[in-house]
Amino acid sequence: MKAAPFAYVRPTRLEDAVNELAGSDGGGKVLAGGQSLVPVLAMRLARPEKLVDITTVEGLDQLRSTGDSLEVAAMVRQRRVEHDRATDSVPLLRMALPWVGHRELRSRGTVCGSLAHADPAAEIPAVAACLNARITLTSPRGTRQVPAREFFTGAMTTALGSEDILTAIRFPVATDGEGFGFAEIARRHGDFALAGVAVRVAVSGERVREATLTAFGVSDRPVTRDVSTELASAVSASGQDGVRLAARLPEPLADIAQGMVDTDGDAHGSRDYRRRLFVTLSGRELAKAHDRALRGINGDNP
Amino acid sequence: MTTSENTHDTARSADRREGKPRPVSAGADEPVEVRLSVNGTPAVLRLPPRHTLADALRDHLGLTGTHLGCEHGVCGMCTVMVDGEAARACLLFACQLDGSDVVTVEGLGRPDDLHPLQESFGHHHALQCGFCTPGFLMSSYDLLSHKPGIAEEEIPEELSGVICRCTGYRNIVSAVSETSREHPEGVPEPGNCAHRALVGRAGGQAAGLPGGAEGVSDTQRADAASQDVEIVLPDSDPTVSVEVTTDLDVPFEKVWRVLDDVHLLATCLPGAELTDDLGNEHYTGRARVAVGPIKLSFTGVAHITEHDRESGRIRVLAQGQDTGGAQTQADLTLVAESTETGTRLQADAAVYLTGRIAQFGRALAGDISRRMFEQFADSVKQAATSGQAPTTPAGAPSALRLVAGTLATRIRRVLRHIGLGKGNSRRGGTPTDGFRQAG
Repeated sequence: MKAAPFAYVRPTRLEDAVNELAGSDGGGKVLAGGQSLVPVLAMRLARPEKLVDITTVEGLDQLRSTGDSLEVAAMVRQRRVEHDRATDSVPLLRMALPWVGHRELRSRGTVCGSLAHADPAAEIPAVAACLNARITLTSPRGTRQVPAREFFTGAMTTALGSEDILTAIRFPVATDGEGFGFAEIARRHGDFALAGVAVRVAVSGERVREATLTAFGVSDRPVTRDVSTELASAVSASGQDGVRLAARLPEPLADIAQGMVDTDGDAHGSRDYRRRLFVTLSGRELAKAHDRALRGINGDNP
Repeated sequence: MTTSENTHDTARSADRREGKPRPVSAGADEPVEVRLSVNGTPAVLRLPPRHTLADALRDHLGLTGTHLGCEHGVCGMCTVMVDGEAARACLLFACQLDGSDVVTVEGLGRPDDLHPLQESFGHHHALQCGFCTPGFLMSSYDLLSHKPGIAEEEIPEELSGVICRCTGYRNIVSAVSETSREHPEGVPEPGNCAHRALVGRAGGQAAGLPGGAEGVSDTQRADAASQDVEIVLPDSDPTVSVEVTTDLDVPFEKVWRVLDDVHLLATCLPGAELTDDLGNEHYTGRARVAVGPIKLSFTGVAHITEHDRESGRIRVLAQGQDTGGAQTQADLTLVAESTETGTRLQADAAVYLTGRIAQFGRALAGDISRRMFEQFADSVKQAATSGQAPTTPAGAPSALRLVAGTLATRIRRVLRHIGLGKGNSRRGGTPTDGFRQAG
């Protein structure tokens, strides 16, 4: 379990980092926290010729609110985001972070690194997709923004080109009338999820304005669906009663599960089992998120 | 799930950082210089980029308390503190950590003053085979230092980053819960972080020593040796403290003449040889120690920091390294004092041993050191009387065979204990290889 030899550069300017990567002719790989990449190297599933360590690149350690969004730059580690007050503005991210790996991995792992790695069962890509956060890519040709829902194109495959560095992500800040939910089932805490959901519900008064459901661990990438109609009709049928709402949701969600959950399943859970997990978790979290949206509270406990 | 965190602790850990990593550009397998603080000791390593922190700690700094299980981030055996937060040492390349502050299980507590978590693990029988224990200790230290007063029901989930295959989780959780209850304001800081010598089998060492680190060329070693080297003694207790007082029937002036002449003085030290005068009271030298089948040859630097005829006092700081990865540092004070019958020579020495040599234990090393100083006093007497180097140079290995003889039984016992009694075929066959020469 030792990585194959690689060249190692640690530049201080973004321009140099971009050029190092571009100059490696596809043989380079960005190293930030390394918590997803190093296991791949240790198992020699990848043998990049060069690692471009971006630890010291100026400006990549920023975590800041910019009015309507929370910007997390490439070197901001998950544990810092987990405990920084600024993250209060994106409740869904706060809910998801404790589920990301273990404490010992979040101390080094970065938010952007998880996005770039794009494991289909990872939490942060699901949050990004649910909120349709904007991902910033930098290459020798400049900077461009990609909406998260277009960023993930397959298992561990993204819109990142071989010359791109994922330099930041901007999560939209929660506004009044929004509620969120997040849950997953894994064989033990910290493992990749068998199935998980991230939910955003927006209400105007008592009317469901928008409901977005993102599932992860159930396909080759996070899958997002607009479930406003389903939630709105379940809400009106249950007469604003939370318990009755939770009981009503599984039926429409079971239909949605047919389309959203398309993994073949594995030794840990079949496709049907994951569909059941999806239905249960999404029903529960939609009801919670709806309640939180109405009450204007996005704490851990409803 | 609780997301509260002791922000004061976070700020404090950030303050502990030694500095930001420096820019690097290195080819595949080209060594990269890494400065670390490991358990309070500054260390400078030169390692190929693909070497992990776990390899650096175990192979290059001799800190084998950090265990390696899966080597791809699943099992948690290698958990250490990096800049105040727990991390997997197998998922970090050492070169990424330039300027970082690392605390391993060796830094957590002292054998005679364990950390409360270590005490509690013992009390609750929270270890069976012990392989996962360093990982659990460091993970739970991280947990309790960042989340003091954590709810007990959250502890199992928070400890899920480390695996125990003796399935002793119940006892581990009890041990951590009790420590958490007893330290509601947070657990004490690691209690064994101080300057000390760090030496691994693969080379590499604590900062401050000239040469020896992997990848350092002979030219660079010569450069390092030609500069004034600051000898930093460990803050920890010495492995051996020796105090030998000998009455010599030689007048003070004659004794001082020996002490005053560095070259003559060196010939009186058993096994010692002065190889170069670097100027400014710095000298390079060699010291050979032969005990039974064991032969060590230390090369290093000595610095005479005090030299006062008025008080008859000389203080020498020395440090040296053996090719086999043993390291020694010494703080030696000689005081010559005029008496009615001649001169009283007092030698006080604090000797620090690191590497495999330290496994011989304090008692044996102390016995050998004491005998060496008794021989030294004899040689000084001879040199003082004749004004020349002692006729049976204390440097000859034969002088020490005498010591070995008196301790033969004990050595055999120790050799059996550490498994060297049948020779050691794993070591390379360099000409200076003591074990092979010993046959």
